[in-house]
Amino acid sequence: MSIANKTTAPARLWRFGLWGILVVLLGLSILVSLGIGRFGVPIDHVFAILLGNVFPIELTWKPVEERVVELIRMPRILIAALAGAGLAVAGSALQGVFRNPLVGPQIIGVSSGAAFGGAFAILVSESQVLLIGAAFGFGMLAMLVVYTISRQQGRASILMLVLAGIVTSAFFSALVSITKFVADPDDKLPAIVFWLMGSFASSSYEKVLLIGIPVMLGSLVVYLMRFQINVLSLGDEEAQSLGLKVERTRWIVLVAVALISAAVVSAAGIVGWVGLVIPHFARMLTGPDHKALIPAAALIGAIYLIHVDNVARASIAAEIPVGIITALLGAPVFAYLLRRAANKGWSSE
Amino acid sequence: MRLLALLATFFVTANSAFADAITITDQRGRKITLDGDVKRVVTIPIPAASMFIAVDGSTDRLVGMHQLSKTAIKGRILERFYPDALTIPSNITGKGFSFVPNVEELLVLEPDLVFQWGHLNDDIIEPLVNAGLEVALIRIGKEEFTRKWLTMMGAMTGKADKAQAMIDWRDDVMAEVRAATADIAEDDRPRTLYFMNYLSKLRVAGGKSYNNFYIDLAGGKNVAAELGMFVDVGVEQIIAWDPEVILLNGFEAKLSPQDVYDNELLADLSAVKNRRVYKMPLGGYRWDPPNQESPLTWLWLSMILHPDKIDWDMAERISRNYQFIYGQDVTDDDVANILRVDMNADAANYDIFGAN
Amino acid sequence: MIRVEKAAFRYRDDWVFRNVGFELAKGQTAAILGPNGRGKTTLLKSIVGLLPLATGTAETYGRIGYVAQKNDLAFSYRVLDIVVMGRAAHVGMFRTPGLKDYRIARETLERLGISGFAERIYTQLSGGERQLVMIARALASECEILILDEPTSALDFSNQALILEVLGRISKADGLTVLMTTHVPQHAQQLADMVLLMKGAEDQDWGFAADMLTEEKLEALYGVPVKSFEVEHQGKTASTLVPLFVLRPRPSPNLP
Repeated sequence: MSIANKTTAPARLWRFGLWGILVVLLGLSILVSLGIGRFGVPIDHVFAILLGNVFPIELTWKPVEERVVELIRMPRILIAALAGAGLAVAGSALQGVFRNPLVGPQIIGVSSGAAFGGAFAILVSESQVLLIGAAFGFGMLAMLVVYTISRQQGRASILMLVLAGIVTSAFFSALVSITKFVADPDDKLPAIVFWLMGSFASSSYEKVLLIGIPVMLGSLVVYLMRFQINVLSLGDEEAQSLGLKVERTRWIVLVAVALISAAVVSAAGIVGWVGLVIPHFARMLTGPDHKALIPAAALIGAIYLIHVDNVARASIAAEIPVGIITALLGAPVFAYLLRRAANKGWSSE
Repeated sequence: MRLLALLATFFVTANSAFADAITITDQRGRKITLDGDVKRVVTIPIPAASMFIAVDGSTDRLVGMHQLSKTAIKGRILERFYPDALTIPSNITGKGFSFVPNVEELLVLEPDLVFQWGHLNDDIIEPLVNAGLEVALIRIGKEEFTRKWLTMMGAMTGKADKAQAMIDWRDDVMAEVRAATADIAEDDRPRTLYFMNYLSKLRVAGGKSYNNFYIDLAGGKNVAAELGMFVDVGVEQIIAWDPEVILLNGFEAKLSPQDVYDNELLADLSAVKNRRVYKMPLGGYRWDPPNQESPLTWLWLSMILHPDKIDWDMAERISRNYQFIYGQDVTDDDVANILRVDMNADAANYDIFGAN
Repeated sequence: MIRVEKAAFRYRDDWVFRNVGFELAKGQTAAILGPNGRGKTTLLKSIVGLLPLATGTAETYGRIGYVAQKNDLAFSYRVLDIVVMGRAAHVGMFRTPGLKDYRIARETLERLGISGFAERIYTQLSGGERQLVMIARALASECEILILDEPTSALDFSNQALILEVLGRISKADGLTVLMTTHVPQHAQQLADMVLLMKGAEDQDWGFAADMLTEEKLEALYGVPVKSFEVEHQGKTASTLVPLFVLRPRPSPNLP
């Protein structure tokens, strides 16, 4: 029942329409979200504030409103969008490379490795750059471990992958606990604990750049490799027989995935269930060809996480950790997808 | 009258000679039986250590305390009163704000009794009970709870009179402050917010906290009253609340009002514009949680919130009551240290404390 | 061309095959026959380079296009996208197929007579149609050597005939060197110039098709009597080899 089954000229038109719709939805989501928050700002003031950056218009709003919209909400929305897009792209790439629709960054260990890298970086320094660097390094390491453990005769069987992911995540969680244990309780420990919880609460434009650059870089690499990921999704032997350098290609994609995951973990701690679930919705709209899948996943992921964060930051007076909401939404959806996969086999979406 | 008192004393001591056992009921209804006064007490809840020292009048019976109890003593006035306090072991729990007991360390100390929080989860209680230790559970939030701590501590150390006197003092001051603030109209009560955490995250005191009690008593309005005990909030929520007075916790040692003034995002808050951001004082213990000096907190806060209406002589109050609680004198410099003039000097209306 | 010398493959402690050697000249077609489990697929994969030989060498001169036995997929791609994936060797890293690649893909589909499939979803095709698509994908790579693993075993007769016709036509037209495995002697008869009989781990026989596809050799290979018949149909004559299942005793319903 996939829309991508359409086989004629309307398919092309549909594609164009799809991008248009998604981009417009993203723009709308951003605009609407700028008007949402615990501190009420009338929507016309929001528009005026935004326009006021470009045109010299009369000041109809209060300085505090401008601060809230531009210094608090905007960076946070941008980071949520970047994180959502990045995670969705990473998930799509992983599902293609491991030729299985049921994997994501949290399964193959990169999230927990990055979490440890970040916790360690907070322990030893204040540098944000080091935080991303360490998150990336340990994310890659964790992925390498998971991949190595799960290989059987050159193929990564999905069962072994999941088991290896569980083991590796447990190991890095233990390392995180050690880090918390040695951290100074007045200063470093609370910072580490808060960061691990997963939240976009401490967003700033500095962070937008810090997160945005790796996420966009990693996503660009994944997008450039869209054809190669298609070929990899046929299976290692097939891909090799078609002349693709399987190991090298796969590792380039995995490095890009680690970069994205590390950036997201640095910004917001562990936010799960996005990379696992969003690619499925994207695939329902575009089909499995990664040329369309990857941008679609990015857009849908961005829109999704913007709205999830709206709930996290504005639904009640307290801050809800965003990872809780993505788990509440994502896990049941994933369970449903698991059942469907078990019933139908994976050859159709 | 004197004869009666003499007879009473005779009977009391006679009774003590025959019936040494003391039974105490803790704040979760558990009955604790002790053979006579405690000799070795460990306090896990952070305010309990200095309170116990205050009730007992010495550090002799305290053999273990929480790490964060010690950080409130080191370099502050209680170190001067009881230098030995710093030698009391404090590695009895996990790091930071953890109340998870390190049972083996505790057993080494051979305590007769261990104080522990009763309102968190039972995982921090069971290991103690399983190790065969006598555990007294205490709760936080309401003023009545704090009085019970004093009563229990008084009963187990033979200082029931002292404990009662401390409770009576609380009653007296509560009545005083209430009289001063009862007639203040709702609109004149400043919107107040207490930050349990500010540096690593934004965590505020909600309606179930002890802080809420004294903000209310002192004539303020806790903007976070709708929330639970201590809750994480976002920056925008703080701006939405627009507190007129901000109180900063005494746990984050490096935290000062300047950190709030320097925060660009909070520049619009009334509290920031009017420079009404205050670091909570630290005397025999931090004044933010319930403690043996709470009445001084209430007096201080009511002056902060209503400088035009309320004026107590804080220096005199501190001096007199420190004599009562600790049997010690304080200087003007001591008072300034306790009231954290170092951090609060250029806050609004703080000259009233300096001038005294 | 393909040259194999003293090739041996072992799996754990068992030798799958030993001392396999043959040379297949450019433009020729060879069929490998043998019962299941005698290493036909393994030999093919080692020639393609997917499995390592324990000893010996397998040299190939020219690009290889490989059509595996199984043809299911995890994802439901379009046929055109699958065929264009055959261009992977020509498309650089970080690059995507260009106009030329798509043109070649479409031309390949047309040569195989299935240009109408281009927009269809692969997973919705029948077994024979899928096989054709896989062959198209291999051909799209502009290979000089075509290696196929049992290209007809899952197909019904009409599809078998179709595949045989296509393979014969294309390989002659393009001058391809073709190596295929099959367990149907008639298919070998139709297409192969050379035949390799894999009788056992140490026992292989290589030679011209006419010499290898004899009643004695095939009976020895399969353990089933095989008879050669001259047939005539609509003015054409040919000889064909038929395994004589009919002569075997029927299994009794009252088996112990």
